[in-house]
Amino acid sequence: MLTCIKGGHVIDPANGRDGVADIWMRDGRIVDAPPAARADATYDATGKIVMAGAIDIHSHIAGWSVNTARLMLPEFRLGSAARPGSTPLSNAGWPAFEIGCRYAAMGFTTVVEPAVSPHYALHAHLELADIPIIDKATLAVLGNDDFLLGLIRSKESAAAVRDYVAWTLAATRSLGIKVINAGGAAAFKENLRAFSFDDVVPAYGVSSRQIVKTLQHAVNELGVPHPLHVHCNNLGIAGSAESALVTLAAAEGLPLHLAHLQFYGYGKEGGHRFSSAAARLAEAVNAAKSVTIDVGQVMFGQTVTVSLDVLRQFQARHQARPRKWAILEGDANGAGIVPYDYRPADFYNAVQWAVGMELFLLIDDPWRVFFTTDHPNGAPFTCYPEILALLMSRELRAEWMATLPAEAMAVTTLPAISREYSLVEIATMTRAAPARLLGLRDRGHLAAGAVADVAVYENEPDRARMFRAAALGFKQGALVVRDGVPTQHVFGRAFAVEPGRDAAIDRRLKAYYDDRYGISDDLIKVPDHAIGRPEPFELISCAQ
Amino acid sequence: MHQAWIDGAPADLPAAAAAAARMLDASRQPLIAGLGTDVAGARAATALAQRIGAAIDHMNADALLRNLEVLREAGFMLTTPSETSLRADTLLLVGPGAIDESSELSRRLLGAAGERDGGRPIERRIFWLCPGRHVGGAGQIAVIGGEVGDLPALLATLRAVVNGRPAGRSAVPAPVLQGVADDLKAARFGVAVWSAADLDALTIAMLCGVVDDLNATTRFSGLPLPPPDNAVGVLEVCGWMTGFPMRTGFGCCRPDHDPWRYRATRLVENGEADCVVWISAYRSAAPDWSGESPTIALAPADARFTKPPRVHIAVGAPGRDHDGIEHLPMIGTLAAVAATDRSEALSVAAAIAAIVTHLADGPPSC
Repeated sequence: MLTCIKGGHVIDPANGRDGVADIWMRDGRIVDAPPAARADATYDATGKIVMAGAIDIHSHIAGWSVNTARLMLPEFRLGSAARPGSTPLSNAGWPAFEIGCRYAAMGFTTVVEPAVSPHYALHAHLELADIPIIDKATLAVLGNDDFLLGLIRSKESAAAVRDYVAWTLAATRSLGIKVINAGGAAAFKENLRAFSFDDVVPAYGVSSRQIVKTLQHAVNELGVPHPLHVHCNNLGIAGSAESALVTLAAAEGLPLHLAHLQFYGYGKEGGHRFSSAAARLAEAVNAAKSVTIDVGQVMFGQTVTVSLDVLRQFQARHQARPRKWAILEGDANGAGIVPYDYRPADFYNAVQWAVGMELFLLIDDPWRVFFTTDHPNGAPFTCYPEILALLMSRELRAEWMATLPAEAMAVTTLPAISREYSLVEIATMTRAAPARLLGLRDRGHLAAGAVADVAVYENEPDRARMFRAAALGFKQGALVVRDGVPTQHVFGRAFAVEPGRDAAIDRRLKAYYDDRYGISDDLIKVPDHAIGRPEPFELISCAQ
Repeated sequence: MHQAWIDGAPADLPAAAAAAARMLDASRQPLIAGLGTDVAGARAATALAQRIGAAIDHMNADALLRNLEVLREAGFMLTTPSETSLRADTLLLVGPGAIDESSELSRRLLGAAGERDGGRPIERRIFWLCPGRHVGGAGQIAVIGGEVGDLPALLATLRAVVNGRPAGRSAVPAPVLQGVADDLKAARFGVAVWSAADLDALTIAMLCGVVDDLNATTRFSGLPLPPPDNAVGVLEVCGWMTGFPMRTGFGCCRPDHDPWRYRATRLVENGEADCVVWISAYRSAAPDWSGESPTIALAPADARFTKPPRVHIAVGAPGRDHDGIEHLPMIGTLAAVAATDRSEALSVAAAIAAIVTHLADGPPSC
C-alpha cells in the first residue's frame, strides 16, 4: 500500500530538510516519490509540521520499580481521568497499556527504559511487551555487580570485561549499558552512606572512577552504538555539580552519556547554600565534544521518583511526599521508590526547575543535549508539551518565573537567557539526535529507506497544544494516531544489540551462577518465546 | 485429547469452552478467583475480567494485601533472597511462617552465609520471635517469645528498646529484649524474615519500622516470604495491566480496587457473584467459601470438588506440564521455567483463549 502525506512542512534535520514536501510510504518504509504513481491513501498535511516520530532515550516505564510504584500509589490511578471505553484496559490510569497510548498521542514512536537490573530483565520485557504502539529498548545496569567488581579487583583483561558486557547485553536483550552510582550500591551494603567518584568499595578495593572507565572502554570497544550511559554519584544534593564535572572530565575524549544532568546542577552558594551551577556544567558540556547529556527537567506537581540509585533513594526516603517509600537492597544495584511533590513555592524545587531550563538553553548543540524529564523522577512524560513550549518562548518562561520565588531565580542565570528553540532544533533534539545516539540508523529521519515512523502536528502558536496531540501519527507506515487519539493498537518491538563474545564467558558465568546463587543462569535470561508476542525483538547492529 | 467435563459428564474442549462462555455471557457479576496460574494465565485472566466486567481475586490475596497495605501506607525496606543467603550475618525470623521446612529457600537461609568475610564464611545468628511452635535445630536459633498473639506488643517493645525509648513490660524479660536489640544493632547486614500469612498488617508495619530504625546505624532489610500459587507473579501482572492489585472489579467504567468489596469469599457467600471462574493450576486447591455459585473450574484433571463445577476444563501445571513464567521464591523475581515433564495438558492461558472464542462479543484487541 502506497501512502502519501501531502504538502506538509517537513522538518528533517538529519537530512538537512526544512520546507514543504510530500512524504511517501510503502511497506513500512519511506520511499522516494514514485514517478506518476497514485497513492492508495493520501493525508493532507497542508499547513502542518511533519517530523519523524519522536524518540525518548530515558524514561522509566517498565519493570519491578515502576510496577511497585503503581502498587504503592493507587491514589494516583484513582485520580486520573476516565478514558474512553473503546480501548482494552484503557480505564486503568497508567498501566502499561496507557503508557504506550499517551506517548503515541504526542507523536512518540520509540521509548527507552534506561534502568533494568539484569536479574529483573524478564519482568521489564514482559511489561514492555504490553506497551502498545511504540518501539522500546532497555539499558542493562552494571557497575555494582559482584562479577564485574571482581574482574576489576583481580585486574582481569579488558577482553574478559568485554565478554561479560556482551553476555549481559545478550541475556537481558538490551540496547546498551547503564551504570548507576558506580560502586555506590555495593558500598552501601557495607554501610557506607556517601560515595563519590574516587571513593573505593571496601570489599573490592575498586573506585567508582575505575568502574566507569572500565565499562566505558568495554562498551566503546564492543562497538555498541549507545555510549556508556552514566548516572553519576551524589545525585540531587547541593554541590552535586562537582560529581558531574569530575565524571565528565573522565570521558577523556571517548563517548560518554551523562543522564538527567539537571539533578547535578546544584552549587552551594547563597543563604540556602543551594544554587544553580548549570552555567558551569553547560560550559563543560559544550567543551567536551564526545559527551552527550539528557536534562531530566523538573516540572511542578506530584510525581514519584523511581531509581536504581538505592543509596540516594535511601537517603531521601524520609523526605517522601506523601510519606511512604520502598527501598530494595538488590542483588547488585537495588532500587528506591520515593514519591515527591515539586512545589513552585519551594525554593529548592524552583531552582531545580530553572537548572533544567538553563541546561537546555545554555548547551549549544542540539545534537548533544537530549529531551527528558527522567520520567517520572523530574515530572511525568505528559509534561513534555509544556516543556517544549517553555524552550520555544522566553516570554512564557518570564511568565513562569514571575510566579516563582525571586530569591530562587536570583541564584540561577535563567532570567538573563533569551534563547528560544526553533522547530528545527526541537526536531534535532527529539528525533535526529536520539536515533543517532542509540544506533537506530533508519529512524529519527525521513529520507527514503527510513522506517516510516512519522508525526504530523498542527502548526499552532500554542506549542504545548501543538505537541500534546499529534494530528497524525504513523508507525511503520500505518496510521496509529489521529488528533491525539490512538486509532489502532499495534505492538512494536524491543531493540537490542548482541556484540560477539568468547563462548568461554558463557561457561564461566554458568559456573558462577551455580556457585554463588545456586541457580541456573538460564533463569535470568530473556528467551524470545517468553514474551508472548510475534517477533518481540529487533537486532540493531554494532559498529564494525 | 484435552479433558473436560460439563456437569460431571466428559465433554470435548470446544463444547466445554462454549458452555463456559454461555455461562459468562449470561452472568451479571462474574468472578475470576483462585488465580493460581503463571504469568500467561494471569494476563489472560485479567484481560478476560476486563472484557466481561468480572472481579478478580487470588486465593492467597489476604497475605499479599497485608504486605501491600504496609507498602501503600508507610513503605518498607526489602532485600532479595540471594542477598539474604549470601550476606546476612543476622536473621530476625518473625512469626510461625518465617520458616517453611519444606522450602528450598528456608533451607538455604538456615545454612551458613555465602559471602566470605576476609576468607572466612560469615557466621549467621538467628533469632525467632514468636515461632508459635517447637523449634528444632540444636540451639542454632534463639527463640524469643512464644505465641504469635504476643507479637504486636513484643515488636512494639523491641522497637522502643532499639531506639532507646522507655518500654513497659512485655511477654519477654527486659534484659532479654535489650540483648536482642543490641545484637540486631551489632549486625553488619541483618534481614527480618516473615510470612504475611500469619501476621496482620499493623504487626508487619511495626516490624518494618524496626528495620527502618536499625538503618540509622547499620544495614538491615526485610524479606517477606511470598505466598504460594504464584501470588506475587499474578500481583505483578495485575499491577502492570490495570494499575491495581487483585480484589479489583471491572464492572464499572473504570477498574475499581476495593479489598473488602471484591474479596471472592464475600462475593460468593453474599450471593453477589453469580458465576465463578476458579483457577488453580499448581495444585488442586479448592475455594474456601461456604456459599455456592455456578463455577467454571480450570484445575487439574484429578481435582475433587465438594461442590461440583458446572464446567471443568483440565489444565496442567506450569513448570511441569508446560513452560511457564512465574515468580520464583529462590530469586525473588519472574523467571521462565521449562517444563520438567512436558505433556499435552492445556495451559490456563490456552483454556481461557478457548473460552474467549465462544464469548458473545468480538475478540479483544490486546
